[in-house]
Amino acid sequence: MTPDNGRVLEASNLRKVFGDLVAVEDVSFHIGEGETYGLLGPNGAGKTTTISMVIGLLERDGGEVVVAGNPVTTKSTTAKAAIGYVPQDIAIYPDLTARENLSFFGHLYGMGGSDLKRRIDELLEVIGLADRADDRSEEFSGGMKRRLNIGIGLLHGPRLLMLDEPTVGVDPQSRNAILESVERLSGEGMAVLYTTHYMEEAERLCDRVGIIDEGQIKAEGTRAELVSLVGQRDKVSLVTADHAQEVAEALASHPDVVEVSGNESGIDLLVSGAAAALPALLQLAAGAGASVTSVEVVEPNLEAVFLHLTGKALRD
Amino acid sequence: MRKILAIGRVNTVRFLREKSNIFFVFVFPMMIVLLTGIAFGSGFDAKVGVHVAGDEGPLATQFVTALDDLADISVIRYDDPDRMLDAVQRGYTDGGVTLPEGYDEALVSGGTAQVEFVSRPDQGALLVRELVLEVVTDQARPVTAGRFVEGTGAGSLDEASAFAAAVPETVTVKSRSAGDSLFEEFVDLGQFDLGASQQLVLFMFLISLAGSAELIQTRKLGVARRMLSTPTSSRTILLGETAGRYGVALTQGLYIMIGTLLIFQVDWGDPIGAIAIVLVFGLVGTGAAMLMGSLFSNDQQAGGLGVLIGLGLAAIGGAMAPIEIFPETMQTIAKFTPHYWAIDGFAELVRRDGTMVDILPNLGVLAGFAAVLLTVASWRLQKVLTR
Repeated sequence: MTPDNGRVLEASNLRKVFGDLVAVEDVSFHIGEGETYGLLGPNGAGKTTTISMVIGLLERDGGEVVVAGNPVTTKSTTAKAAIGYVPQDIAIYPDLTARENLSFFGHLYGMGGSDLKRRIDELLEVIGLADRADDRSEEFSGGMKRRLNIGIGLLHGPRLLMLDEPTVGVDPQSRNAILESVERLSGEGMAVLYTTHYMEEAERLCDRVGIIDEGQIKAEGTRAELVSLVGQRDKVSLVTADHAQEVAEALASHPDVVEVSGNESGIDLLVSGAAAALPALLQLAAGAGASVTSVEVVEPNLEAVFLHLTGKALRD
Repeated sequence: MRKILAIGRVNTVRFLREKSNIFFVFVFPMMIVLLTGIAFGSGFDAKVGVHVAGDEGPLATQFVTALDDLADISVIRYDDPDRMLDAVQRGYTDGGVTLPEGYDEALVSGGTAQVEFVSRPDQGALLVRELVLEVVTDQARPVTAGRFVEGTGAGSLDEASAFAAAVPETVTVKSRSAGDSLFEEFVDLGQFDLGASQQLVLFMFLISLAGSAELIQTRKLGVARRMLSTPTSSRTILLGETAGRYGVALTQGLYIMIGTLLIFQVDWGDPIGAIAIVLVFGLVGTGAAMLMGSLFSNDQQAGGLGVLIGLGLAAIGGAMAPIEIFPETMQTIAKFTPHYWAIDGFAELVRRDGTMVDILPNLGVLAGFAAVLLTVASWRLQKVLTR
C-alpha cells in the first residue's frame, strides 16, 4: 500500500493495444476524495477500455493504476474492495429479484448476515425500489433496472465509484435522478469517475474533465480551464428590425467585441465577457437607430472545446 | 468459500426458477422411467385372444382354462372372431386362437378338430404359438388315449382319458444352455430397475448441459465482468460457477435415485457405490456444461447442441437400450462415452451385486473424463469470462 496523498485514484500512462489498434495511449489522470472526474469522448474513443484497465478487468500493456493506495491488477482484490463499478450494460440477473441481485453482489463484496440485510434495505430506499424489492428485475422498466445497476455499485460503500455511461438509453426523469444521485454521492465525499459522451452531463457533474479521443486524453481540466483553450468568448446573437449595417458598425467599436458578422435576421457577435458588456452593446444598438427584438447569449461549452481539439463534433 | 457458495446457489436457483427446467428435472424423468418400465420391464407376458365358435363344451372350457393358467399367457375372450383378428393386427394381443364349432363333439366322437392360431409375423408370435401348441397337445394326448381304450371296450372314454391324463410323461426333453444368455442378468431385475439407471445417466448429463445456458447468460449480461470487478478472484468465480452446475447435476441425479426408489422400489444396489457414481458422473456433466458455456456465446445455440450431444452420447453409451444388444464394434465405441462407464457401474451394483470396490475402475474412468473436461473448461473460461 502506498500513501494516496488525498488521491483515491491515480492512473498513469495507461496503454492498451488490440492487435494493430492502439486503443489507449499514455492516458493519465487522478481523482481526489469528493471529486467527480469525467472522461468525455465519443463512442469508440477509449473510455470503456480505460475504465476496464482502471478496475482491473483488462490486462494493461503499460502504465499503473493505484486505488486507495493499492495497486490494481487483473488479479488484485484489495484495491477492488474500494471500487464500486457501474457498467454501461445493465449487468444484473433478470430472473432474480432486486433484493436477490443486491444480496448476491453483496456476498461478492464480502458482506453478509444482518449487515448486508440492513445495507440492502437502506439502498433499496435510496434507489427507490423498496416497494419492488421482491419483484424480478426482468419486470422492471429501463430506468428501474439502471437504478438497480447503480445500487449494486454502491452496496459496499466504495471510496471510488466508476460509472460507465450510466444514462445511455434512460428516460429524462430517470436520467435526472441518476445525475442527482451522483451529485449527492460526490457531495458526501465519494470520488467519482464518470464516462460519458453527453457534454451536458460532464458540464453538470464533473469538477474536472478529461477529453478523450482516439485513445488519448487531448486536454484535461476544469470546465473553465478547458473553455479557455478556445478563448473566453461568448456568442451574442441580436435580432434587429432595421439599420443592421449601422448597428454592426456601432457594435464593432466596443472594446470587448472581437468579431461581428451578419446573419439572416440580425447580427452575431463574439464578445469577451458578454454578461458585463451586454448593457453597453444594447445602448450602442439603440444609438444606431435599431430596435433590438431578441438577444441570445451562448457561453462557450465543452462541445466547442471538443470541436476545437479534435476537429469533429462530440457525437460524430 | 462463502463466495463460491453464493455463486453456486444463485446458479442453482436461477436454473430451477425456469419453469421448463422444473418439468425436465422433476416430471419428465419419472415419466420416462415409468413408461420404459411398463413397456419393457415386465418380461414376457403375452396376451392371447380366444374365440370359441358355437356352444362351448367342457373340453373347450378346459382348453381355455389351461391356456390362461400358463404363467406367461393372459387370455382375452372374444365373441366376435373379426374383433379378435383386429386386436391381433393392431398389436393389442400377441395372437388369437379359434376353437371350431363342435370342438367337444369332434374330440369325443373320434373326429378331428382344427384349432386355428393367428398372429403377426414376428419373433414373439413363435413363442406364443409354441405355448398354444403345448396346450393343444396336453389336451389331445389323454383324449386320444381314452378313445383308444373306449374302442377296445376296456373302459369308458371319460375314465380312460382321466387315467391317461394322470400318467406321467414317459419321454421328456431336457434342455441346457451353452454360454451366457444376453439377458440372463436382467431376469432378476425389477420392472423399473434397468430403465431407472439408464434414465438417471441420460438426464443427469442432459440437464447438466442445459445448465451451460446460465453460464453463457452470465457472460452475455456482463454479470461475469461485474463479478470480476468485485474483490473476488477469477478462480473463486470459476469454482462458484462449477458448484452451480454441479448442484444442478446432483439435484437431478439424487432426485431420480431417491424418487424411483420410493415410487417404483427400484433397486440401486450398494448405496455407497450408487451415490459414488452419481457424485463422479455429476462432475463429468458439470465439466461438459462448463466447456459448452465457455465455447458458445449464444445460449439457444448451446441448448440445441446440448440436447443433440446429450442424446447422442446416451444412445451410444447404452442409456437408451441395453449395451448387451449392441454389436461388438458399437460396444467398443461405447467405451469412449462417460455414459457407458456410469451405466456399467450401476449394472455391476444392481445385476451382479457388486460393491464400491468392484466399480472403482468405472469411477476412475469417470473421474478422468471429469478432470479433462473441467481443466479444459477452466482454461477456456479464464479467457472468455470478461468478454
